[in-house]
Amino acid sequence: MEGTEQYALESYQWLLERILMDMGMSNMVERVKLTIRPDQTLFIISIKVKHSSGKRPVYDIAEIKSQEGGTFIEIKDESYAPRFLATLWRLYGRDRVQQLTRLEIFVEGVSAEELSTLKLDPEEETRSQLLDAIWRLLPEGLKVRHEFYDDNIMTIVATEHVMTVDFIEEAKKMHQYMRGEVEE
Amino acid sequence: MYEVLMYDGGVHKVEELFDLIEDIGGFVLQKTQVQVMIIITMAIPAEDRPLVERKTAELGGKIIEVPLAGTEIAVIGPTLGRHHMPHPICDIAEHLRRYGAITIVMGLARGRGRKTCQISAEEKAIIEEYDAAIFMLGNFKECVTHEKIDLYKDIQIPVVTVIGPEVDSLPHCEALVCGVGRKVERMRRSEEIAKLEEIADRVKEVIDVRRMEIEEDPLFVHPSEIKDILDEMDAVQECLRPAPVVLHVDGLRVKIPYKEHLKEMEELEVYGRKLKDIAVISDCRLGDSTIIKIRTKAEVEGEIKI
Repeated sequence: MEGTEQYALESYQWLLERILMDMGMSNMVERVKLTIRPDQTLFIISIKVKHSSGKRPVYDIAEIKSQEGGTFIEIKDESYAPRFLATLWRLYGRDRVQQLTRLEIFVEGVSAEELSTLKLDPEEETRSQLLDAIWRLLPEGLKVRHEFYDDNIMTIVATEHVMTVDFIEEAKKMHQYMRGEVEE
Repeated sequence: MYEVLMYDGGVHKVEELFDLIEDIGGFVLQKTQVQVMIIITMAIPAEDRPLVERKTAELGGKIIEVPLAGTEIAVIGPTLGRHHMPHPICDIAEHLRRYGAITIVMGLARGRGRKTCQISAEEKAIIEEYDAAIFMLGNFKECVTHEKIDLYKDIQIPVVTVIGPEVDSLPHCEALVCGVGRKVERMRRSEEIAKLEEIADRVKEVIDVRRMEIEEDPLFVHPSEIKDILDEMDAVQECLRPAPVVLHVDGLRVKIPYKEHLKEMEELEVYGRKLKDIAVISDCRLGDSTIIKIRTKAEVEGEIKI
């Protein structure tokens, strides 16, 4: 944390912790860096989430068995269950995808080979959750925003009036620091 | 001087308490009955309090102090942004209700931000209809001490400011409570409840000062006496809004439309005088309500002499 007001820093750290806890994201966040300078109306936050493995092949998270008339799937990693089910619904329609139990799915008329080639992308959801958390945290008056993001780091700089080159530069440096590219 | 108290007890023989209140010249402000239990908020002459206490003990009930009864207080935040919920101003408003106040929660249209925060004349006028205002201004010292204080600079009613960072004093406000900033959960820890108590204490002090100022030049009648008369009006009895008549320190808010009922209200008789002679009746800024400000004894009697 870096800033000109100790109370503001401590309270925003506490707010972020509570927000992440509420959203069930506490264990996803690896590191956070926060800069608050009320005298300059500057707020920069950079959050690094734990390495998300990118796209995961379906055979990594579920057991796939060929059966008569379709394919039977038993999900092993339940954190992927909702996303996997949503993907199957999108691809094959609700009529062909039967959810037998919480973690067992039967897909009609689709071969096991075809399903094995599927890959699930957790990035999009993580990113939108992270954005939601930051949106809840940011002071409401700071409407002028600029963001940097890559696979697992998101940095947002917010101010009230004009976004200066210096602010963006500072946020960029913080982003690079979180990526381990520059020293503090 | 009238004192406002709350009776909490059973309904058995409670008529005796109603009779006593009437005999000593007091008023029932509100009664809420839930099955066999009843809560009665009453205004009684302060010197007759022992009589009411004795009767309460006889009925097996208890008397609760409600120091803020007969007041309507606005709790104001710069914004009611959804992503800031649950908002501490809700906790503050709820806590003040325990002391008998009627509270409203209000967010300003353009109150967020540092240099961009504003309050409109309309908003100020709405706030000034209440007995006191609590402004909750957030976590940034720089922002509060340099910019946000302008939000309540010209407000004519007592203001209690609640902020997060510790500061010694702030201009333009009657009281200050530090240590309550933005929250993302209800205030339920012991230290947070202590803060809510502190806010209630500051509001009580501010209201007491206001009441003492009024005592120096007393009102022609106590607002509860007018409430008693207003309660007889058909429009008030038919009003479905909660608490159709709300007491203020120096008047009342009646939740019936001003334009439709002005004539009727003006002609109401209060101790041999018409209401229009002893009070200023005006339209409420929030619509469909009427504000009555009672004139002081000196004003009313001075006018009669002329």
